[in-house]
Amino acid sequence: MSAPRDEYLPEAIREKLIHDPRVAEQDLRVRVQEHRVMLGGNVASPQLKQRITEVAKELLPDYEVVNETTVVSAAEPDGEEPVS
Amino acid sequence: MIRIAAVGDLHYGVGSLDILRPSLQHLPARADILLLAGDLTRCGGPEEVAILANELRGLTIPAVAVLGNHDYHAGREQEVRRVLEDADVRVLEGQAITLDIDGVRIGIAGTKGFGGGFRGAHGSDFGEPEMKAFVGHTKMLSDRLERALGGLEADLRIALLHYSPIEATLEGERLEIYPFLGSYLLAAAVDNAGADLVFHGHAHHGEEKGRTPAGVPVRNVAQPVIRHAYNIYTLDAGRQVQPAAAGGIS
Repeated sequence: MSAPRDEYLPEAIREKLIHDPRVAEQDLRVRVQEHRVMLGGNVASPQLKQRITEVAKELLPDYEVVNETTVVSAAEPDGEEPVS
Repeated sequence: MIRIAAVGDLHYGVGSLDILRPSLQHLPARADILLLAGDLTRCGGPEEVAILANELRGLTIPAVAVLGNHDYHAGREQEVRRVLEDADVRVLEGQAITLDIDGVRIGIAGTKGFGGGFRGAHGSDFGEPEMKAFVGHTKMLSDRLERALGGLEADLRIALLHYSPIEATLEGERLEIYPFLGSYLLAAAVDNAGADLVFHGHAHHGEEKGRTPAGVPVRNVAQPVIRHAYNIYTLDAGRQVQPAAAGGIS
């Protein structure tokens, strides 16, 4: 299979990140501008965020990787919701 | 009053150690039951779910789960299920259980569910075998959910899903992927059989709250949505169970 054209590069990166077992995130948003890759979305831990940066750099050694993903809190909830 | 802690999409894998554990310490004092709405692993590995199972082992309140699409990715879902069951987590797929919580019978029917879309824009089991298989899977699981819910004899009835039964809890997701996020057939199953509350996950960018077309409350407890280790919902045990829908095409 040929290397993706620039127009399809963000989707190719997104697919690689979904299928890399170190990441396996389906909800990452990928943008490419010039030689910069910007990654967005929610991740579960700072460790996962770091791994995403590492994997993206492996995939695109010639690009600057800007990881703008948000680490989601896993704190206890403050209260409870009565449902009716 | 029954207190239900619920969360989905924990996506345990390498590096997940201890994410939930600190918040589980106080859980038995705050909730009567823990529900897990699928996608407990990153890639469906038994070694991934074992990390969660170790955190849940010894939990003094009942834990009930369904699996999600990620938990099927490695084709080892039966092993994933066994790891959870070895830690006393009940795993439901087209089945129901009844738990007695201080004399109140809590019935829980669970299924992963599947996609297809929503009213007016649902896929049909028509055409290629692949399309028939896709929609057929949703129909089969929805039918099983309706039977499981309908067969419950309980004071409160809960449906536990991974895929969404409604569109309202998907708002924030891209419209193009709605057919991969849920199906109205799951809502129809809930409305036909009757329930007090529905939980699902899967939609990380969605909204927490919605209702089925017949008015049953739905909560999307995907962890990135609730942004806590779990959320707690209380149900009045004396309330009337939503009646099954009357009439219509059967």
